[in-house]
Amino acid sequence: MAGRQIYNPDGFKNVEKDGKVCGFQFQFKLQYYRGITLSIIRDIKVVIDGEELPREAVSITVNGETFTLEECRTVVSPLYRWEFGEFATVTAAKEGGLAKGPHHICVLQHIAPSYMPFPIQSTCEADFEI
Amino acid sequence: MSEIKRSVSLYSYQDSYYDGKLDLEGCLRETAKAGASGVELLAETMIKQFPNPIYTEEFQAQWNGWLQKYKLTPTCYDAFLENRIYDNRMLSLGEQIEMMQRDLKCASILGFSCIRTLVSTPIDVIEGSLEYAEKVGVKIGLEVHAPFSLNSTWAQGYLDRLSGNDSKFNYFAFIPDMGIFCKNIPDVVADKWRRAGAKEEFIKIVDDAYASRVANGFTKIEYSLNLGQANMNYRNANGLGDLTEKFKSMGASPADFGYLNASYTYSWSDPQDLIDNIDRICHTHAKCYNTHEDYVETAVAIPEVVAAYKKCGYDGYLSTEYEGGECLRDHEIVDDIEQVRRHQEAMRRAIEG
Repeated sequence: MAGRQIYNPDGFKNVEKDGKVCGFQFQFKLQYYRGITLSIIRDIKVVIDGEELPREAVSITVNGETFTLEECRTVVSPLYRWEFGEFATVTAAKEGGLAKGPHHICVLQHIAPSYMPFPIQSTCEADFEI
Repeated sequence: MSEIKRSVSLYSYQDSYYDGKLDLEGCLRETAKAGASGVELLAETMIKQFPNPIYTEEFQAQWNGWLQKYKLTPTCYDAFLENRIYDNRMLSLGEQIEMMQRDLKCASILGFSCIRTLVSTPIDVIEGSLEYAEKVGVKIGLEVHAPFSLNSTWAQGYLDRLSGNDSKFNYFAFIPDMGIFCKNIPDVVADKWRRAGAKEEFIKIVDDAYASRVANGFTKIEYSLNLGQANMNYRNANGLGDLTEKFKSMGASPADFGYLNASYTYSWSDPQDLIDNIDRICHTHAKCYNTHEDYVETAVAIPEVVAAYKKCGYDGYLSTEYEGGECLRDHEIVDDIEQVRRHQEAMRRAIEG
């Protein structure tokens, strides 16, 4: 049987800047039970086809605003919570983006709710096609 | 006739909400359909851009309209004291009190008579918020969640500081979570680790050890601001260290260890603890993991807890908090609506029977 859906199946795509493909995007849901301020995101570790991308390459978009992981550390506004049950868009910088065809993605969502003695690390894997 | 009332915590519907099958109003509709008269809210889960909408007349009118439409009473507002909202420091005491007052205010606006605060809440934050709690008429309920327990040095630590003649102390209370009354480890937990590869001989060792802890009594957890350390001490005092060594020597797999460690998140307290503390109990989380078709919960001692509450005349709510979905959602779509319905019926039978 199949479990819950984590990724938006229609969310995988390459992104362009100034006419050049400079990375790719995906959309996924928070693996927790309430919405969070972006400030408690410790990491979103992206591994694409076995290649781990540097932390600096990753940014997250909620409610139309984009923040690098470093910037997320101070984002506490109610306007930019990662709402429970909603997709956040993650953009990963990667020269040339992803080639046409099948890919495998493995992302570690690492968040630190204040009351938990240990942070929550969720591994989110999917196969998709560009 | 018992005055015990039934509520549903919307935590229970997290999977249907996550999948987009239920929105906030849908959760209230299902709560009423399941037979509950009360509702418990996690504002940070189901109110987008929390807490902003709560302060608007538009949302307040909508919320009150739903309560009327579904004939529901607001029972408890679950607060999350995000005191590590920044990664480089803990919020100051003043900032934490400010945050708790925000939640008390939101709870009051939405008509709740108590908030749930988590086991990790520093005593000073509760103490510093009590005057405001009295002012808005909302109690601060400290959740007593496994592995914590009533009648422990942990609970006594709060009582020592938060009791006295001043009327504000009437605004501190406990919210027992019925996960502290588990007679065995929930079946869905064992099944989850079986799917991951745990072997029957190891599952039996874990189950037998749990039964022996229930029979002989658990060593209780101590009050500490370092919850990680307190939890490790608690686990080892209850035999985890010895079992870990035994598992190693028997060549246990990661899944066998997974089940062993999971077993330490459940606990058993004597329901007499409820009677001893009845004057300090404002609400109850009726935790459940898997209620079978015959309305028997896999692990939680519903009849024993209800009997204890009847004995001492509890007239508050038992609020269904379905948590079994976390064992299922990697593998199947969780039917939380049916689980809540069954659990409400199980409680109704115990209360009215």
